[in-house]
Amino acid sequence: MASGSGEGGTGVRTSVASQFFTGEEDTAIDMTTSEKVVDLLNQAALISTENKLTVLKQVQELIINKDPSLLDNFLDEIIAFQTDKSIEVRKFVIGFIEEACKRDNELLLKLIANLNMLLKDESVNVVKKAILTLTQLYKVALQWLVRSKAVSDMQEACWDMVTQMKEDVLALLDSDNDGVRTHAIKFTESLIITLSPRTPDSDTPRRQEGDISLDKIPRDHSYIRYDTLCEEGKQALEQLLKFMVHPAISSINLTTALGSLATLARQRPMFMSKVVQAYETLHANLPPTLAKSQVSSVRKNLKLHLVSVLRHPCSVEFQGQIGTLLLDLGMAQSDIARCTPAPRDQRKRARHEPYAEGKKIKMEPALIEDDEDKEEPAPALAPKPSSVPGTQSAIDLTAEFLLPLLSPENVANLVLISMVYLPDAMPASFQATYTPVESAGTDAQIKHLARLMATQMTSAGIGPGLEQCKAREEDAGKEAAELEAATETLSASKDLLIKRRVSSVSMGQAISVVGAYGGKSQSEDAEESPQVAMVKRMPEPILPSTQTKAPGASGRKKVFRLADVMQPLADAQMEKLTNMAVKRILQSEKAVARSGMAHVRVKLLSRLVTQFEGAMKDEVLAFVLEDIRLRSDLAFSLLYQEYNAYLSQLPNGCLDSYDHCLITLLSGLQEKPEQRDGLFTKLVLEAPLITESALEVIRRYCEDESRVYLGMTTLKELIVKRPSRQFQYLHVLLDLSSHDKDKVRSNALTFIKRMYEKDQLRDYIEKFALNYMQLLVHPNPPSLLFGADKDTEVASPWTEETVRQCLYLYLSLLPLNHRLVHELASVYTEAIADIKRTVLRVIEQPIRGMGMNSPDLLLLVENCPKGAETLVTRCLHILTDKVPPSPELVERVRDLYHKRVPDVRFLIPVINGLEKKEVIQALPKLIKLNPIVVKEVFNRLLGTQHSEGSSSMSPLTPGELLVALHNIDSTKCDMKSIIKATNLCFGEKNVYTSEVLAVVMQQLMEQSPLPMLLMRTVIQSLTMYPRLGGFVMNVLARLIPKQVWKYPKVWEGFVKCCQRTKPQSFTVLLQLPPPQLSSVFERCPEMREPLLQHVHSFTPTRYPEKRALRPAVCTPPPPPAPHTASLQLTEMSLRPVFTQHLGQAHIPASVMAVLEANTRQEPEVVEPEEREMEPPSVAPQQPYPANPEEEEEEEPMEQGEPAPVAAQDNPTEAVTQEESVEPEEISAPSPVEKADEPMEEGVAEPPEEADQSKEPMEESNVEAETEAGDPE
Amino acid sequence: MPSHPLRVAVVCSSNQNRSMEAHNILSKRGFEVRSFGTGTHVKLPGPAPDKPNVYDFKTTYEQMYNDLVRKDKELYTQNGILHMLDRNKRIKVRPERFQSCKDQFDLVITCEERVYDQVLEDLSSREQETFQPVHVINVDIQDNHEEATLGAFLICELCQCIQHTEDMENEMDELLQEFEEKSSRPFLHTVCFY
Repeated sequence: MASGSGEGGTGVRTSVASQFFTGEEDTAIDMTTSEKVVDLLNQAALISTENKLTVLKQVQELIINKDPSLLDNFLDEIIAFQTDKSIEVRKFVIGFIEEACKRDNELLLKLIANLNMLLKDESVNVVKKAILTLTQLYKVALQWLVRSKAVSDMQEACWDMVTQMKEDVLALLDSDNDGVRTHAIKFTESLIITLSPRTPDSDTPRRQEGDISLDKIPRDHSYIRYDTLCEEGKQALEQLLKFMVHPAISSINLTTALGSLATLARQRPMFMSKVVQAYETLHANLPPTLAKSQVSSVRKNLKLHLVSVLRHPCSVEFQGQIGTLLLDLGMAQSDIARCTPAPRDQRKRARHEPYAEGKKIKMEPALIEDDEDKEEPAPALAPKPSSVPGTQSAIDLTAEFLLPLLSPENVANLVLISMVYLPDAMPASFQATYTPVESAGTDAQIKHLARLMATQMTSAGIGPGLEQCKAREEDAGKEAAELEAATETLSASKDLLIKRRVSSVSMGQAISVVGAYGGKSQSEDAEESPQVAMVKRMPEPILPSTQTKAPGASGRKKVFRLADVMQPLADAQMEKLTNMAVKRILQSEKAVARSGMAHVRVKLLSRLVTQFEGAMKDEVLAFVLEDIRLRSDLAFSLLYQEYNAYLSQLPNGCLDSYDHCLITLLSGLQEKPEQRDGLFTKLVLEAPLITESALEVIRRYCEDESRVYLGMTTLKELIVKRPSRQFQYLHVLLDLSSHDKDKVRSNALTFIKRMYEKDQLRDYIEKFALNYMQLLVHPNPPSLLFGADKDTEVASPWTEETVRQCLYLYLSLLPLNHRLVHELASVYTEAIADIKRTVLRVIEQPIRGMGMNSPDLLLLVENCPKGAETLVTRCLHILTDKVPPSPELVERVRDLYHKRVPDVRFLIPVINGLEKKEVIQALPKLIKLNPIVVKEVFNRLLGTQHSEGSSSMSPLTPGELLVALHNIDSTKCDMKSIIKATNLCFGEKNVYTSEVLAVVMQQLMEQSPLPMLLMRTVIQSLTMYPRLGGFVMNVLARLIPKQVWKYPKVWEGFVKCCQRTKPQSFTVLLQLPPPQLSSVFERCPEMREPLLQHVHSFTPTRYPEKRALRPAVCTPPPPPAPHTASLQLTEMSLRPVFTQHLGQAHIPASVMAVLEANTRQEPEVVEPEEREMEPPSVAPQQPYPANPEEEEEEEPMEQGEPAPVAAQDNPTEAVTQEESVEPEEISAPSPVEKADEPMEEGVAEPPEEADQSKEPMEESNVEAETEAGDPE
Repeated sequence: MPSHPLRVAVVCSSNQNRSMEAHNILSKRGFEVRSFGTGTHVKLPGPAPDKPNVYDFKTTYEQMYNDLVRKDKELYTQNGILHMLDRNKRIKVRPERFQSCKDQFDLVITCEERVYDQVLEDLSSREQETFQPVHVINVDIQDNHEEATLGAFLICELCQCIQHTEDMENEMDELLQEFEEKSSRPFLHTVCFY
């Protein structure tokens, strides 16, 4: 500073002298500083904030301290930075303004407006800095004005602005910002100090000795009005006090205010009473908004400041109060005593008269007057009398009033009454401030209590003290005409005013409490209010009434009632408004979503809409459906809200509204094209309740072919997840199982099958399926089956469709639970034929699924209810269709057949499981069945039914079968059936190969008696396989020793066969005994001539040879052992049976006689006798020995097979035939008759049967020919 | 006050353990920090509880260190005093007394209630001049090494949070409430003015 002023001096000198001297040194300094500043300012404009500050601070140093003459020059440049975007730079500008104005007060004229601008800066930090600066500059400005005797217009305007700014800052006590409020408090403190007179008692800091204060302001100043300022100061104090008692004051503001009050009390002891009072009030009414730790902080502060106030010599009068407070705050008595200043002599008295405030306070005004007397002693006397009672505040008065009333009884009552109003939880502030009352019942304590109560009552605006004060105030108001009096009285009366205004702030709570009590005993009620008020005072928004409001608030407030100013709207208008409001909320979707409040909107909408009936709901629902995916939240919210509404009205609640909401949503979803997100399922599953109609919608889903899977999945989920109603849902699914749409039905069945695995659902499903099946018992389909169109007349007949409908479900369950099969059987027996037919058709799949090992199926077979035979048979067929029957099944069927139902048809399916004997036994019955069935039987037996070679399973080989057929007792079965059966065998060319047939023939031939159909089979075999010709010849030859002619049918066939196989058969014929030969010729006269010619072609010397050989020829060949049959088969088939040599060699004379019968009759007659004598020796022995030689020749013969058949085409043969026609016709009659008779007798067949037997033979011939022709 | 770094003072009784630990950490985190003691003397534990080593604030850490090494190196190594002094002397030369410092701060953090009271008493006894506010916060820390470290971290976190507030004075209350909850210890807080 010293150097700065020195420089300044130089500067001034230079500027004055510059015209005269061009002192280089000075100029150099001047130039350098100025240039330096310019340079720095230029830099500052360009560099970063941090550096800018450094540079600007240098500039400030240069132009304020080093060379203030430059200040004016660069002012504008610096001030220009007040719009800098950096907060720090702006704060610097403020600091600069302060410094500049302090340095040169005149600059206030220029700069105050800038400060005003900065006071309204957007940054709170700038504002705070501006407040701090204004705190300083206010004093500077005031002093400056006071100093200048003639005040210019500019100065006046400047002061007006400062005053305005002061008001602005005071208003900032209401700022939203805690920090700004803190600064405003400090400003207020400083303002109050400035605008109040300093007294000798004032504990003024040394640094502020020179500061201006009210006492330094001349009363005759041309512009500054002493009384105005005084008034302003008091108002500021009022504001500060009011600010402090606000219930929601922040802890920092409170701390600040406490500090300010302490400062005020010490620097302006005249305010000490107010300060102490404020402290008392605060101590009893700590803001409830404070947290625990904040309470401790505040209390600590309060203690600190109380001590500092106590240390002030003027505190003597308040030592009692302060001491009590400090005790309450936990300070030891000894510490308090240590802080108490040694009283001055005059105060000693006061100490002995505790609480004689009236007298003590007298001292204070006196002191003030002492101060003021210096300037204007005259009015001092006037206010004195009035000031005595005036200093006694309302609280003091009320306390005095209360004191005698506080008898132990009264207090106890008060405590009891107030118990009721204690809050449930102890407020933090109470907890923190509570200290056990140490001195209960002592006078001091009672006094303290009275004072506490008085404080509360005064706050609440009641009590005798207040009334007295009011009256006094009015008096004082009249007397206040005189200024001198005003200074004295106002300080007291304003005090009251403040108190009252304060009370009006808290009146809202406090009075209502008191009012509720009625005014019984004033004191009691009064006691009530403070406690309750203290406890119940709720945090309020910080809206301390502004100055202009305050006076109004002190008046009686008219209670505002909303109902008084309202008029009901018309219903229509109301509805319109509601609708519009809801619509607006609806449409605000995006805006709300952006603000992140979507959930609130959803909640709001659902609540609103649920409350209002009508179109609004539909609108919202439609809105939801527009984009259900995005708005599913809303959908769910609506749904829950509706349900909630329903629940809240229980038990009378109505679900309609909820139902409507759910159905609309579900149906709406159905109309939407895509369903990938499963919203439907989600909606259904999360809906609190599924109503009947909602279930209907779900059903519709299931019936919709494109949604069926979704629908049913949902339904399934419902069944699983909502056990309480699962049967209801299950029923829907079951219903769908007989749906006429395939896709729906098959899906339903699939789902049901899955459900069926769950135990708890099993019974229900089963029962349903069985009930449905039971419908089949009815003569006509019940209307139930026609679903939607239930009007259908019951009279319509069962159709396959309706029958199936009843069975779908049952049949799909059957493979899962075989036991059900018995139910089917019982229904089946009762059902009509049409139904039975359908049933037989549809059971294939499920029965096959069950398999033949199913115990239940076996049981069914075993029991076979009456009437269910066809069903059982069908089952058997299905089971054995592809696989051979199991032994168990065979056993069951066999039992059934033998013991209960001797229907051979049962055996068919298991025929391959039976034993050979059984099959043979059953054969007669089997082949009598329907040809188709017979065919099937054979297929099974022959294994031709399956592609795979399961024929090995057959109990009979094909050969055995054919043999068995031949051996069927004709009494058990008619020949026709047998023939048909054999024909079936022959039909299977693959099975009945030539080898098989040869074996069969061999076996048959060995039998005795010969089977009737032997020759038929032989002929047929030959027809099928002409290469068997040789074998057949052999067979024929071997039949001769068996006297084949004794079996008329066989004989007939024999002849036919010979006829067919000529000329091969000639050798056989020649072996016949003459009578039989002639019998042949009788039957076929045309044979004779060719045979004769054949014989003639032999050598003439044949007779002797013949005779010699005869006995040998007649020896029958040994019958082949049965077990070697197959071996012989091959031998026989490969071996030529007769050779021409043989034939030529041994023609007996008798034979020749027969041959030549038409010329010589007699020998013919003889021969038969001869022949009769020696039948056993007829068969020639020769053929066998000759075999080896002829083997080679045999093949060519066989190759020439067709020859005998095609012989008729041969012209030469034809000629021979013609030749032999005549003799046959002539000689035929007699032998035929002879032969015929025994035949008929032996066979003893009725004529019909004979006919029958012929027919088939002819048929078979035809067949055989055609068959033979086919290959050609 | 995000625009300029917080001026922080950490105050404990002897400017040895708690305030120095915090000083150490805060300066490492880039704060403009100073540390102080409020006691009339600097006291360090001695061979018995009733025989502390007492120094005045003019004694440097170095001197104390040497003194203790001379007295009983093993004891003071074992109880960590030497280690602490060693750290301290690398931070600054000697302990400082808060009451003697006339520099201004934005934030004063005290480490126990007694110290807080002393700071408050000192600050309110000073003559007000600029009305620049200073926030005083008390964080109770027991005077041992472990607690000092934990406390230092808490203080550091608190300072960082305050540094990052948009408007420190406006948000301070809330911030402290949060911290109280988080650290479950109460903070005394007040504001004083220079």
